[in-house]
Amino acid sequence: MLERKASTKVMAAGTALKPMTAAAAEEIAAQEFARIVETHRPQIFRFLLASLRDVDLAETLTQECFLKAHRNWEGFRGESSAMTWLMRIAINLQKDHWRNRRIQFWRQTRTNSVDLDEASEWLPSGERSAEQQMLAREQVAHVWQAVKGLSERQRTVFLLRYVEEQELKEIAEATGLSEGTVKAHLSRALERVRRELRGTR
Amino acid sequence: MNWEQDLAGESREVQQAVQNFKASMEAWSDAALSRPRTAAPRTARHTWRMAAGWALGCVMAAGVCTGAVQSLHHRQQMARVAAQKAEQRAAEERAAEAREAAQEANAKAAKTEPTASAKDADLLASVDRAISRPVPEAMEPLAQLMDDSEGQ
Repeated sequence: MLERKASTKVMAAGTALKPMTAAAAEEIAAQEFARIVETHRPQIFRFLLASLRDVDLAETLTQECFLKAHRNWEGFRGESSAMTWLMRIAINLQKDHWRNRRIQFWRQTRTNSVDLDEASEWLPSGERSAEQQMLAREQVAHVWQAVKGLSERQRTVFLLRYVEEQELKEIAEATGLSEGTVKAHLSRALERVRRELRGTR
Repeated sequence: MNWEQDLAGESREVQQAVQNFKASMEAWSDAALSRPRTAAPRTARHTWRMAAGWALGCVMAAGVCTGAVQSLHHRQQMARVAAQKAEQRAAEERAAEAREAAQEANAKAAKTEPTASAKDADLLASVDRAISRPVPEAMEPLAQLMDDSEGQ
């Protein structure tokens, strides 16, 4: 967890406190933020990509997420982890995107989201036999199918838990739901995955 | 609680499926993040659609403007015609009123101014009234004679 220090003075060993100039404080804040971007960008991007299945849109929203975070960086008090804070911004951006698409349906009649088969093509190149690869691809396709059928909240909770490996508490903070609700959503999402896998046999 | 512990109660198939899904997402995301980026030119289809949209919008706007202008012009013309008619009607009414007034004045004048013969008759009557005297009794036979001679 990253903790932000709000002090404007630097303590050097054995010396008196020297006031920090505004420029130096800004420089430190900028470096800190750059480190945050570098650390968390892949996760934010992955979450948005999984939610939207659109690489370009996921990139755009990732940029927007960090732009928003940068604008509000001064207001971030470190009450939650930077990752949770960024994820909350990403979730809101994603929600806004879906809402805007619903309202402005005439603007984009065509979506750039890849279809489920294409999304299922991605597998890590491990030491697997062709048969195992095929089985894994099938399983991934079924999970995608289940994810597609989930509600927005259920999908978000599922992705945060099983793709981003977040703790229930972190998910609750990022989504603004209670832990109990998060558990309920996860349970329903898993039930859907189970049904989807069972239905294929 | 670890996410893998969530799945402890699930079947092996569900566990594998979720793990494969996670691995698949990571692979896709890593590949997308490391792909070379180029500024994507706008597709011709998009440009064509935009141009068509603009053209259609312009035509519609022009149509609406023309309609509005024509409607305004028509309304102005109708108002002008109506004003002219009203003015004409008012003028006619004024003329009729003048005519009626003149006739009334003539009639009144005719009533108040008597004719020359009537004037003469009135004058003679008043003179008669002024000069006539009752005839004394002594001259009664003479007066009768005059009446008789006048009657003859």
